[in-house]
Order: sequence, then structure tokens, then C-alpha cells
Amino acid sequence: MASADTPSGALVLLQELTSSSSHFKQGASLRVTGKLQEYNVETAIAVIADGGATLAIDTQHLRLNLRVGSLYQFIGELSIQPNNDGILKARVGRNVDGMDLNLYQQSLKLLRQFQSDQISHFEQFQ
Amino acid sequence: MDALHNTHVKLLAFDFLSLTSSASHPNAICRRGTILLSRGETLGIVTSREYKPDRFLRFTIDDGTGCIPCVLWVNQLTSPYHSRRSPPDVRLIAESARNFATLIQIGLSARVRGKITMYRGKLQLTVSDVVVERDPNAETLHWLQCIRLARKCYDIVPPSLPPMYRKADG
Repeated sequence: MASADTPSGALVLLQELTSSSSHFKQGASLRVTGKLQEYNVETAIAVIADGGATLAIDTQHLRLNLRVGSLYQFIGELSIQPNNDGILKARVGRNVDGMDLNLYQQSLKLLRQFQSDQISHFEQFQ
Repeated sequence: MDALHNTHVKLLAFDFLSLTSSASHPNAICRRGTILLSRGETLGIVTSREYKPDRFLRFTIDDGTGCIPCVLWVNQLTSPYHSRRSPPDVRLIAESARNFATLIQIGLSARVRGKITMYRGKLQLTVSDVVVERDPNAETLHWLQCIRLARKCYDIVPPSLPPMYRKADG
């Protein structure tokens, strides 16, 4: 696989991925995490859940052994369907059983705050 | 400001990608125009991989804030660059590089260390060390370490530098 311009998957929580979210855009590169709720072997469509929200994941390009009830993280591009539902076309996936989701969410808040502080400081002195 | 010059500085990708080359120090990289760096460490998911046997492995680490291009040379046995070193040393380096190349696979979480270099005007990490992280919490810990190190260490600028370089504490 070529590496030249691989887009970064923005870190998003499933509960943030509503239709009004800035991340809810056709082709947006996202990284999502959740517990595998359903998996259809024929269509390779998985559904992950976190915090009461769910997201469908197209896993056809992955070689991953999926188990319902396990935690997974996926990176891919969001495809918005005619009915306004989003489906993530995953290009990368991994099992993250054992991940502390509460710590992940709290740390993500700190990370976003830090990134915003750093970028505004960088812009100031340029 | 070269106290960190030979340290593997832990940087998030967005921070890494904002580094600039130093006008006054060849082979050195500047963070915010002040701190001189030469080495970096990143941790994230391998999202691309391009292998040229006996030449190099080019791959990307995505930490959620950006993608860091990495290159791992695997040409030690044929490159004239290594011809002045002792052959047993070169063989060891070559074997180690080949092992690292095998470790790097798409979807894995990897901690990568190396030299911060420019290639065709773009920043990259020329890899010297690879560890595959099995703990799913390793990346979260890495974010927190990067934040702490930036605030407590990398962002601290000596009072001797002009105020434009100093960040308001807090």
C-alpha cells in the first residue's frame, strides 16, 4: 500500500458522531472505538456500540477475526447513505480488548484541549 | 536551546509536522523556532506500508492528531554508507532492521524512535528502533506523556530569549 498521502483518522467518540457533528461529512477520515454488537459475515458489515451510540463499519477490506462482545478500533472513511446514516469504510482495524474506555475518553478531552492551545500559540508567534 | 538535541523527544504528530529545519544548525530541526531537536519518538497505528526489499520500508504512523511518515533502511549490507564500519556490526544492524521491518504491519500499534529528517522538503522519521505495543492503553498513556512533557519541558523557554518565544504559563 502506498504511504504518500494517507489521511489521519480523527479521534471521534461514537456519541459525538451525530448528523450535526463537524466530523459527519462524506469521506471524513475517522478513528472510532466500540464494542462489537453485530457482525454479518455475508456483507462484512459490523456494528459497534459505545455510550448508547452505534455505528456500522464496512470491514470488507480487513483481515480481522471479529468476535461479538469484544472491543475494536477502526480507521476509515465515512460514507453517508441516502437515508443519512453513516457507515465507516474501514481500512484499518484492531482488537482493543482491555482498553480503559473511561480513561480513553478523559484523555481525549485533554488531548483536544492541548492541541487547541498549542495551535493557537503557534499561530500567535508566527 | 540544544539541551534536547540528542534526546528522543516524544511528540504528537500535529506537533511533529509543525517542526522546521534550522537555518543556523545543519541537520537540526527546530520546534517553534527555538528548541533544537534531532531525534523523535512516536506511538500510533501503522496505517500504510510500502516495502522495497534490500532498500527500505516506508510506512505511516497515525496517532489520531496526524500521520508521521517513517522510513526504515534495510540496505545496510549493500550501502556504501556502512562500508567503513566493521562487517559484524553492519550484519547486526542489518538483521535488526530486517526484524523491525517484519514487525511493522498495518493495524498494529507501534512505538517508533528515530532521527527527524527532511526528505523532499517534508518531515519524516528515519527509524532506528521499533516496538510493537500489545497494551491497548499504551497510546492513551503516550498522549498524556506528550502533553506533560510539552508543558513541563519542551515549552519552557529560557528567559534570555525574546518574549515572542515564551508561552504564558498555565
